[in-house]
Amino acid sequence: MESNLSGKTVLITEAARNFGPPTALAFAAEGTNLVLATGDSTDDLAATLQSASTAGVRVKSFHWDVADASQVDLVVRDAVAEFGRIDVVVNNSAVANSAQSFETISFSEWERKLGVEITGTTLVCKAVLPGMIERRWGRIINYIGLSAFLGSNAPDSASELGMVGLARGIARDYGKYNITANCIGPGGIESAEELGMLSFPPSDGDPLPRWGSTRELAFLAVCLASEDAGYVTGQCLLANGGKYFL
Amino acid sequence: MDTGLDGKVVLITGATRNHGRASALAFAAEGANLLLCTRQSMDLLEETAQEASASGVRTVTKLCDVTDPDQVDSLVKTGMEKFGRIDVVVNNAGWRARGSLLDITAEQWEAALAVNVHAPFIMCQAVIPGMKERRFGRIINYSGIAPFRGASGQGTLKRANEGLTRAIAREYGRFNITANCIGPGSIDVERTAGQESGHETARELPDVPVPRHGTVQECSAMVVFLASEQAAYISGQTYLVNGGAYFL
Repeated sequence: MESNLSGKTVLITEAARNFGPPTALAFAAEGTNLVLATGDSTDDLAATLQSASTAGVRVKSFHWDVADASQVDLVVRDAVAEFGRIDVVVNNSAVANSAQSFETISFSEWERKLGVEITGTTLVCKAVLPGMIERRWGRIINYIGLSAFLGSNAPDSASELGMVGLARGIARDYGKYNITANCIGPGGIESAEELGMLSFPPSDGDPLPRWGSTRELAFLAVCLASEDAGYVTGQCLLANGGKYFL
Repeated sequence: MDTGLDGKVVLITGATRNHGRASALAFAAEGANLLLCTRQSMDLLEETAQEASASGVRTVTKLCDVTDPDQVDSLVKTGMEKFGRIDVVVNNAGWRARGSLLDITAEQWEAALAVNVHAPFIMCQAVIPGMKERRFGRIINYSGIAPFRGASGQGTLKRANEGLTRAIAREYGRFNITANCIGPGSIDVERTAGQESGHETARELPDVPVPRHGTVQECSAMVVFLASEQAAYISGQTYLVNGGAYFL
């Protein structure tokens, strides 16, 4: 399969955590340049940076607080100065929250979560959309999770389903510029477990009673970004071993 | 149909006009007592309360900015003092972030996020402990046409509200508390100054299977149904009242 992504530039909004590293490497294998951002230390990007460079693509890493519009604008400006464009954005920013009762969630925790995941993601989209509109090409991919559908806990569920709304909205409003926006909904992917995120381990009743691999997940992101996915927009593609059917 | 709402207490936010007012009158007709709030006009709120009282129910009115946790706590406290319980909450207060993502300012975004998403969060935290204790609760939040038709501002926020609703549905179903969204389509409503003025019917007729604008009464009928005893097994859902504009 030819993705036609070679030479394009991909921004991953949180490249150090959960599905960021495997996604970065999957795109590097397609020959895209990478803008790797993280809310943590850029030291955490070192391994991914090195592996991607080995694939022969150019990579630049940034630290940012994705909830801060001025920092987002600055990173996007620097990245565009370096690579000339951002063609694909993979929204992967997440604030880990402990599974707790709705009644005990503090308002500030809730506000921060939505500030990073919902507002932050819209800030990134606002920063990259003008360039995509100008070049009449863009792919926006939001990683969400099973909580959107299961209602596992309020911050995750609200934030993830908000991302679905955002993808549909961008799909509707900017499709005429050849920009697509979609969501990928992982569930039961092995790395999430290691990193202490809310996980959905395989159970015998699942259609596919095993952990999914990050490689299987990142493949979907590459698919959605590829040239031939140009007619897929506003959708939510689940990679969860059949744990939930849309 | 006996909805089982006679004597129950219903809290409605943004109850001065349109959906909020229509819901107040619909619940009053079922014999429910009302706790009504607005942050805008006490006069308009009193009008709604007075009209509802004609059904012989008790009403309490209060000014409240539902995006402020302290004011919401105070509102719920007032309700508990006057009625001893809050059985149903209708989180109707809303504010639309109009336009596409690139057209919405940071201020508009924050205001819309606060009213559409933070406010239901704050309200649900305030009322759920009492509902758990009494093993009965109905929470009704507002989605809309935006998440389904696609709108990068409002669609994001309304969908987030649906996510919140699903999480509450999951956690509190065992206490006989349900949480659902109503998704109104193109409804004939009177708009606030600063958004757009006039009635929705003045605008273009929507291209939907039922080729007309809906009424707020048709929406409040769904709200009352979702609050009824009979709706106890419906939770975490979004029920669309949109003339068939979008099929789930």
